[in-house]
Amino acid sequence: MRTEYDATVIGAGLLGCFTARELVRYGLHTIVLEQREDVCTGISRANSAIVYTGCDTKPGTIKTEMCVRANRGFDTLCRELGVRFSRCGSLMICFGPCGLGVLEKKYAQGLENGVQGLRMIGPEETYDLEPNLAPGVRAALYAEGTGTVLPWELGCAAAENAAANGAEFRFCSRVLGISRREGGYTVSTDTENIRTRCVINCAGLFADEVQELLFAPSVRLFPKRGDYYVLDTKAEGFISHVISHEPEDKKKDGGFDKGGDKGLTLVPTVEGNILVGPSNMPTDSKRLGSTERDGFELLDRRISEVMPGLPMRHMIRSFSSLRPNPFQVELAGGEYVRNGKSISNFTIAEPAGDASFLSFIGIKTPGMTCAQELGRYAAEKAAAYLGAKEDPRFDPVRPAPVRTADLSVAERDALIKDRPDYGRIVCRCRGVSEGEMIDAIHSKPGAVTVDGIKRRTGAGGGRCQGGFCSQKVIELLARERRCLPEEIMKDGPGSYILTGGETDA
Amino acid sequence: MRDIYDLIVIGGGPAGMAAALTAEECGVDRILIIERGERLGGILNQCTHSGFGAAYFGEEMTGTEFAERFRERMSDSGVEVITGTMVLSVSADRTVTVSNKSGCAELHTKAVVLATGCRERPISSLHVTGTRPSGVFEAGAAQKMLNLGGYDIGDDAVVLGSGDVGLVVARCLAQRGRRVIGVFEIRDVCGGSDKNRTECLDFYGIPLYFRHTVTRIHGEGRISGVTVKDLDSGAERYIGCGTLITSLGLVPERELIEPLEAEDGSLPEWIFTCGDARTVHDTVDAVAFEAEKTGAEAAEYITGGTDI
Ligand SMILES: Cc1cc2nc3c(=O)[nH]c(=O)nc-3n(C[C@H](O)[C@H](O)[C@H](O)COP(=O)(O)OP(=O)(O)OC[C@H]3O[C@@H](n4cnc5c(N)ncnc54)[C@H](O)[C@@H]3O)c2cc1C
Ligand SMILES: Cc1cc2nc3c(=O)[nH]c(=O)nc-3n(C[C@H](O)[C@H](O)[C@H](O)COP(=O)(O)OP(=O)(O)OC[C@H]3O[C@@H](n4cnc5c(N)ncnc54)[C@H](O)[C@@H]3O)c2cc1C
Repeated sequence: MRTEYDATVIGAGLLGCFTARELVRYGLHTIVLEQREDVCTGISRANSAIVYTGCDTKPGTIKTEMCVRANRGFDTLCRELGVRFSRCGSLMICFGPCGLGVLEKKYAQGLENGVQGLRMIGPEETYDLEPNLAPGVRAALYAEGTGTVLPWELGCAAAENAAANGAEFRFCSRVLGISRREGGYTVSTDTENIRTRCVINCAGLFADEVQELLFAPSVRLFPKRGDYYVLDTKAEGFISHVISHEPEDKKKDGGFDKGGDKGLTLVPTVEGNILVGPSNMPTDSKRLGSTERDGFELLDRRISEVMPGLPMRHMIRSFSSLRPNPFQVELAGGEYVRNGKSISNFTIAEPAGDASFLSFIGIKTPGMTCAQELGRYAAEKAAAYLGAKEDPRFDPVRPAPVRTADLSVAERDALIKDRPDYGRIVCRCRGVSEGEMIDAIHSKPGAVTVDGIKRRTGAGGGRCQGGFCSQKVIELLARERRCLPEEIMKDGPGSYILTGGETDA
Repeated sequence: MRDIYDLIVIGGGPAGMAAALTAEECGVDRILIIERGERLGGILNQCTHSGFGAAYFGEEMTGTEFAERFRERMSDSGVEVITGTMVLSVSADRTVTVSNKSGCAELHTKAVVLATGCRERPISSLHVTGTRPSGVFEAGAAQKMLNLGGYDIGDDAVVLGSGDVGLVVARCLAQRGRRVIGVFEIRDVCGGSDKNRTECLDFYGIPLYFRHTVTRIHGEGRISGVTVKDLDSGAERYIGCGTLITSLGLVPERELIEPLEAEDGSLPEWIFTCGDARTVHDTVDAVAFEAEKTGAEAAEYITGGTDI
């Protein structure tokens, strides 16, 4: 195995995957080190799924520039990567004067940022577009260009395309140490030492800690939790745009310590579900994935204000995410403490003073929208630093995987004649075939867990939440990976589903 | 398999088999049962316990034996059966779209009997907080893994909900030497039958707690515990566990015909339903009796009704 690389990417979330894809565009020998077993297991597995237009952020910032550009190119990007994207448009609504003020500011800001297809609309048109909104809407900011994409689908596609162009992915490889060496760095995981000329730190919630493996603390992450609900496809059609709500009672500064919230967002996903959320709750943990009562209560209250008729009986799941909020820190009394407000622009640190080491610290919304832009930014810097030129052999196209549910009867029939496993439906709720699962397992980087299959095919994400198909999925994974069903995990370490002899002990 | 039938029965559990057999007796010619599993029998194939058939066959037997009796009757009949085949959709022009490993096809029929059974409500549909570790199983899925897969699903189990399936799985674990910490039921009555309560819990010394529910799931990889709430005192306590079995209620599986339902919930005259897909039944005997009636009704519609 090769141990010397031009560039080492730490973390295989959306940013790591896109950074790797952009690095190989320059023909750089690239490796991605990920502590978990698969791509998109961090923040990138749980966000609001919105492709923003760029009207939400201040003019002139790198965040705004990237967002506006990314939004314009999103159809092309998704076509290249074979990813489902729906440009459904969005309505930001308000019920009173405070909200209206915010909307008007965003409208003006959007125009200044060069966002097209923005309009302030009155109640009548708003209810025409979204008849199920609560009564009393005062106005809405309509943004034609807003869209939605599944974050893990996008991330997996970028990873596959990066790998197809030569990037290597090493999973279950946690970076524990980084040291300088002549002409670069040595990055150490629990199992190996990687010699590299450049490091791009895309470690999400842990990007501060990874940077501090070698450099003094400067920016640290203080997460806030966002809880979400997912509604079944039975509720499909209840909304048709991304809907967000600017509350009247919002704390002015976002209320970091007081648990201020950001209103409610409703998203009609590309799979026909409705995503409801997120809350915005303080937390002192970086452990992802725990939902809390106070978050649910906030969501329930917001739902009753914004869309009381939302068919919550169709809820099939809840989940949570963590926002990596970056703060400048300074030494005080022997400890590093937060100073000032959360940094709102994207923080892209170069702690070594040059492009040999680049850190994305605290890339929150719209980090998914901008993932390709951020990846390109990092790769351009690295390429300039290393003197690399674009490689003409780079192929940006990743063929879309087969999704039998989206095909006509004749198309399916033809496909099955060639590959019978596309005819065997394993996931009843989403209609995913055995063939699609096998493709997911053999893609590179491929699915190794039950959740890995879910991210790539959607299986197990429907109304029965895998109750029907998970045994079959475990058996397929075991068969294709030539291991025992007992060795198959749900997702992370220790998440075994079937038990072997160990419970006898 | 041809592509035109008089009657297509979706689902080859006891309901589907009983409906098809009766329809044939009533003179319907071209009948097809479509089953997604590899064999007929439905949920009965995983019910290795006894307690089936007393009312219908006049003797008590296991679920698998009950299924076997019906399979024998099927092989003596002229009903066509296709297994390993999923029905993908049923459309208003009486077309049934199916997929299996030889292809994807549209079949035409005069009538449809929906006998697709039911599914369990997953815990993720409740407002339970905490993490989403492995080791959480719906009772039916657990039963299938244990009885059909021959797998071991873990020890130190908490059972949430006292439906029959949950009780039967509690016993199944106890019989394998696994510890079942207790069954927690939110209401003040047992969801399952008295017989199951005695045979599955009392006999194995498994406690049943009424007016208790699980409010939180703990654990990073595999589940490590649950928070249990006593609804009367409001007190919450942590209980360490290695497995959580949920038995939160069954929901008829009717998604195939929902798009054809009118505003008032009524169905086109050519669609019939029976078994757990119609309403969830306590006993398979009741399912069989009901399905026979449904089969006769469908036959009357087909033979006496207007030709298409
Ligand atoms: C609640 C919420 C809602 C959002 N909604 C939107 C939205 O609607 N639209 C939008 O555009 N953006 C949205 N975002 C932002 C977007 O989701 C993020 O910007 C993006 O997912 C960040 O990806 P990442 O790769 O930085 O992080 P992650 O996905 O967390 O990836 C980091 C990876 O690094 C790995 N790692 C960490 N430490 C190490 C180590 N020491 N060694 C090896 N690997 C390591 C982790 O395991 C992880 O896989 C939202 C974010 C949040 C929190
Ligand atoms: C654990 C447990 C214990 C029980 N204990 C008892 C007991 O002790 N005594 C008793 O009398 N009864 C008992 N019952 C109840 C009884 O078994 C059921 O009510 C009965 O089996 C329901 O029959 P059904 O045909 O309606 O559904 P099922 O048996 O569920 O059959 C439905 C069939 O439809 C198929 N299907 C569904 N969708 C499709 C599709 N789209 N395409 C193709 N095929 C499809 C399924 O694969 C399945 O084979 C028990 C049930 C369970 C689960």
